[in-house]
Amino acid sequence: MSAPELHGYVAYYDDVDSLIGAARRVKESGFRRFDAHSPFPVHGIDPAMGIRPTILPWLVLGAGLTGCAVALGMQYWMNGVDYAFLISGKPLFGLPAAIPVTFEVIILLSAITTFVGMLALNKLPLLSNPLHRTPGFERVTADRFAISIEAADERFDEQATREFLRETGATVIERCEADDSPAGLPKIVKQLTMVAAAIALIPPALIAMERYGTRTTPRIHLIPDMDHQPKAKTQSASSIFEDGRSMRAPVEGTVAVGEWIEDEYRATGKVADQWGSGFPFTIDEVVMQRGRERYDIYCGVCHGLDGLGRGPVSVRAESLQEAAWIPPTNLHDERLLTVPEGQLFDVITNGIRNMPAYSGQITVDDRWAVVAYLRALQRSRAADREDLPAERQEDFK
Amino acid sequence: MSAHATIHAPERAKVTPTGLASRGKLFTIAGLALCALALVLGLVQDGGTRHLQHSWLLAVTYFITLGLGGLFFVLVQHLVRAGWSVVVRRMAEHVAGALPLMGLLLLPIVVPTLFGNGDLYHWADTHEREVSHLLHEKAPYLNGPFLLVRVLIYVGVWTLLVRAFNRRSLAQDDTGDPALTQWMQTRAAPSVLAFALTLTFFSFDMLMTLNYEWFSTIFGVYIFAGSALALFATLVLFSRRFEKRGELEGIVTTEHYHDLGKLLFAFVFFWGYIAFSQYMLIWYGDIPEETQWFAARWVGGWKVVSLVLLFGHFLLPFVGLLSRHVKRNRLLLSGWAVALLVMHLVDLYWLIMPTLSPEGVRVGLIDIACLLGVGGLFLGGVLRRADGRPLVPLQDPRLDESLAFENI
Amino acid sequence: MVITTTTDHDPVKTAAAAPEIDVLSDDPTQRPPLMTGQNDFTSITDDVCGIAERPKPPRAWYAAFGVSLVGTAVMFGMLGYLVLNGVGVWGNNQPVAWGWPIVNFVFWVGIGHAGTLISAILFLFRQGWRTSINRFAEAMTIFAVCCAAVFPGVHIGRVWMAYYLFPIPNQMEMWPNFRSPLLWDVFAVSTYALTSLLFWYMGMIPDLATLRDRAKGKIRQAAYGLFSLGWTGSARQWHRYEKAYLLLAGLATPLVLSVHSVVSFDFAVSQVPGWHTTIFPPYFVAGAIFSGFAMVVTLMIPARQFFGLKHLVTMKHLEIMCKIILATGMMVGYAYAIEFFIAWYGGNPYERFAFINRAMGPYAWAYWTMAFCNVVAPQAFWFKKVRTNLWAMMGVCILVNVGMWFERFVITVISLSRDFLPSSWDYFKPTAVDVLTFAGSFGLFFTLFLLFCRYLPMVAMAEVKTVLPQAHAGHGAHAEEVAQ
Repeated sequence: MSAPELHGYVAYYDDVDSLIGAARRVKESGFRRFDAHSPFPVHGIDPAMGIRPTILPWLVLGAGLTGCAVALGMQYWMNGVDYAFLISGKPLFGLPAAIPVTFEVIILLSAITTFVGMLALNKLPLLSNPLHRTPGFERVTADRFAISIEAADERFDEQATREFLRETGATVIERCEADDSPAGLPKIVKQLTMVAAAIALIPPALIAMERYGTRTTPRIHLIPDMDHQPKAKTQSASSIFEDGRSMRAPVEGTVAVGEWIEDEYRATGKVADQWGSGFPFTIDEVVMQRGRERYDIYCGVCHGLDGLGRGPVSVRAESLQEAAWIPPTNLHDERLLTVPEGQLFDVITNGIRNMPAYSGQITVDDRWAVVAYLRALQRSRAADREDLPAERQEDFK
Repeated sequence: MSAHATIHAPERAKVTPTGLASRGKLFTIAGLALCALALVLGLVQDGGTRHLQHSWLLAVTYFITLGLGGLFFVLVQHLVRAGWSVVVRRMAEHVAGALPLMGLLLLPIVVPTLFGNGDLYHWADTHEREVSHLLHEKAPYLNGPFLLVRVLIYVGVWTLLVRAFNRRSLAQDDTGDPALTQWMQTRAAPSVLAFALTLTFFSFDMLMTLNYEWFSTIFGVYIFAGSALALFATLVLFSRRFEKRGELEGIVTTEHYHDLGKLLFAFVFFWGYIAFSQYMLIWYGDIPEETQWFAARWVGGWKVVSLVLLFGHFLLPFVGLLSRHVKRNRLLLSGWAVALLVMHLVDLYWLIMPTLSPEGVRVGLIDIACLLGVGGLFLGGVLRRADGRPLVPLQDPRLDESLAFENI
Repeated sequence: MVITTTTDHDPVKTAAAAPEIDVLSDDPTQRPPLMTGQNDFTSITDDVCGIAERPKPPRAWYAAFGVSLVGTAVMFGMLGYLVLNGVGVWGNNQPVAWGWPIVNFVFWVGIGHAGTLISAILFLFRQGWRTSINRFAEAMTIFAVCCAAVFPGVHIGRVWMAYYLFPIPNQMEMWPNFRSPLLWDVFAVSTYALTSLLFWYMGMIPDLATLRDRAKGKIRQAAYGLFSLGWTGSARQWHRYEKAYLLLAGLATPLVLSVHSVVSFDFAVSQVPGWHTTIFPPYFVAGAIFSGFAMVVTLMIPARQFFGLKHLVTMKHLEIMCKIILATGMMVGYAYAIEFFIAWYGGNPYERFAFINRAMGPYAWAYWTMAFCNVVAPQAFWFKKVRTNLWAMMGVCILVNVGMWFERFVITVISLSRDFLPSSWDYFKPTAVDVLTFAGSFGLFFTLFLLFCRYLPMVAMAEVKTVLPQAHAGHGAHAEEVAQ
């Protein structure tokens, strides 16, 4: 194995004065690839070594200005444009309210730039440096002063430079040997890193799978948020109440606000417990059209649009041979032609046999409108040409 | 630090300005004449007395805040045992020395208020006092006799402090007794306390109560920020003047300018911080009794003045003084000092004058006469005090440190 | 300070001739040395590194660390309990929706102000004495900010949604409300935490390099080696490093003002009586520095005792800090007084009520505790005897810490408990979870702190070396003298 290559010399000095003096001489002798090392910043060494002011302040100024623009732009766009909402009467973008965040972002970017910029300009981190392999150099961070000259410098000469350093007042001069240990990371570190990287990929992969894949069971819900709440849901059972229901019935005779109807006939279809006849309000074109619309929606599906009891539900039920199916009444049935309007209203309201109540779906006045339309429908089966408007009579000659 | 220059103790003769008394007298006479002119203008012009009172208040508070800045500087240098500032401290002492006289100049506005003249302080108006419920509530504080007592207390405290510190500082020139410094150091802390309280209530009484409905807890700090800033600007200009004249040549160095510049920069920022805090909190809170004060300063020409303050008192000097090179350049630094002294005037104008002419800025001859008149009296006083007295504390125990001072 | 003067008062020479000068001397004719005893580069390195290199710390360290770990565990236990059960486990109610979590947050953030003040503002003011304590105070800052960050984080309720605080694109396509002071807080506190961390870490790089070069074990070599980033102490590195340090100090100074100002905005932008007052920003900053210094002194007294740093952190350091505590305490007292005066002077009946209620309402006990601890107790520091007596100093500083916690309690809880609607008025009582979480946060604070004391350089060696006389050119001869 040949002798290790020379990286440079390190010369040690006892105090600040001799360090500064020596640094000045090294610089004046035309060396460029040299540096002075001390445990603390030595004042007065910059001019001696000819170190020019760093550009760091300009980088930081740039970062500060960038921060200002970014912060103002971000706040303007986010609150003023992209997601604009009014809050406590403040303008969408008001400069006074934008200043604190702008200020903080300026400082944030400037501080990061200061730190990162300092490291970058100093070419740090640099974990492998031949100087650290020089035994005497260890005390440079404690109580010793040193000047290092690299062999790569044009003026470097193995003998002459050593002599020269001796002349500058160095107490000790050390050879600094080039780092001949293999460059790069040890194999085991590389392998471990790769394994770690592979393992690190698992969680994001799982997340992606959960997010974009399809599955029949509910997704895993890591944070249940408010999924489980100690409360009773609609129509569920409850052990608290005697009747075993979680829902409470309203007090007997309760009427919802705004739903109390003064006119008994209009509300129930009865007058003094007897079915009433006629309508509680005037039937005009509008009511009739409304009645027809409601009828077509709610009644027609079973009773048929023509009222003959052959609506699509009924037809399908019969075609399926449903044994229990009771066909809907033919509304043109003789019996129904004479039933009082009040009773028809009551049937719609409360249902009859297996026809359900429609009071939940059709409002009171609409039910009367349906009754009115039903009367018109019944009348239409017994109509002759004279019943038609004059201009339509011609069509039925 | 690598100071290679040899520092010599300043010679007494060299640092003692002479011939200032006659010039001071000239300033005083001119000042008196201008004050008389202002008075005449006030009496003959339509609505002149009201204008005169406002202008007078502006002129007097301007120079009182300068003096208060001086007093603050002197007290704090002793309080923190500062070394660098010794060579400029005497000038601050002279500026602070104007406080007793300037304080007395408050009487021409306090006395009419005492007798129920509400031209300046609307709260003193007899009719207003009867109809305003708010004034009934505030009467224990806002009344003529109590105002007079308070003003006398402020001026009394300032006079005591100024005399106590200036005398001992001057006496040390002859005796060189370090015990004097020790005395001032130990008394500085309670003095700063007295200073803070008097400045706060002075600013409340003379400026905040111009609009008796309005109030702001930070107001005292706001006036303090402006006062200190104005003082540092004054110190820069005085240093430069006396450096040119020769008294401070080789004594006040670039390093001291650099430090004054840093303080100037710091207080530009501090003023901006305090002004922003006051504005932002009132803007955001949006309570009518508070916002009316800013609303009045955002109409007509006052909007321009508000913007001038924002840029001239804060943003531009902040950017301008950021660089080390500016702070170490006497010419540029003096330029900023002048600009900031003007801005301090604009600041006070903006605080006072909207009550006189809510519709917009109206600068009259009377304003200029008052300002120059009171300024003449102020400068005359400072020059006569400076005459024949060393401009640096010759035997201050930390003088050497100050002379050799270098920024790292 | 190399000067050739015609007078006899060369401070450096005087110090050299009579090294046993009293550091507490108030004699204006001389600058007492910043440290006692004979210090040189070697001794400082040995003293400071020795602590981190000790194979075993003092027994007291283990005891304190054990107790702190238990505290930390309690805090995290309480936080877990909170996350499982929701914020109902706290005493917060209507109208006091901001209870202890916000009080604790402001308390800890306030503590975290002293570090940056010492490192940045005192650096700009060229206060050489700061070098002995700045590392220590900066570390305290970081740990206090860590404790502070816990509380607003959990106070939002569903902690897993905390990322909504930041302008991160999310599935709801919503952005944060930048007009809210609470969001300003997020930016201020995160910026402060990061900048303080950078400042602390950057200051530590040269010292970590020192530890690296002295390290014996492989693990220590690798750890210190990694974190010192290959520092060689070269003049070119130092040049940029010092510039960066100055820049960071310049950035941190307005930052430290802004952080507690923004915290004060949380309260002051509202219209709640007792909150909406313009002096809040500077008053909060003064209070923060006040409490921060009190905490530094509280921690410094035992630390310098146990770790043998009495010659680096002298009685003079403590005395100066006591003076700063007195000064900032007076500022806080000034703000209390002005607030009270303006509450009366403003003539607003709600504001008047809020202040009378503070002093005489159901929480009067809290108010007067605060007033006594923050305004009366520090008055003891007018006396040099108190400023130089460790026990007295410790007592006052602990009182100040208590008082500053109560200040935040008084502001937050009293105003809220008596809001505009008298029918909603309620008395706030903390629950055991509140108390244990807060107590546990001290555990976290001390755990981090004790680890710092154990493994990192507690004093900024490189900076302390710069204030030794032999660090300056022209004192070579003198340096040799001391070394021999």
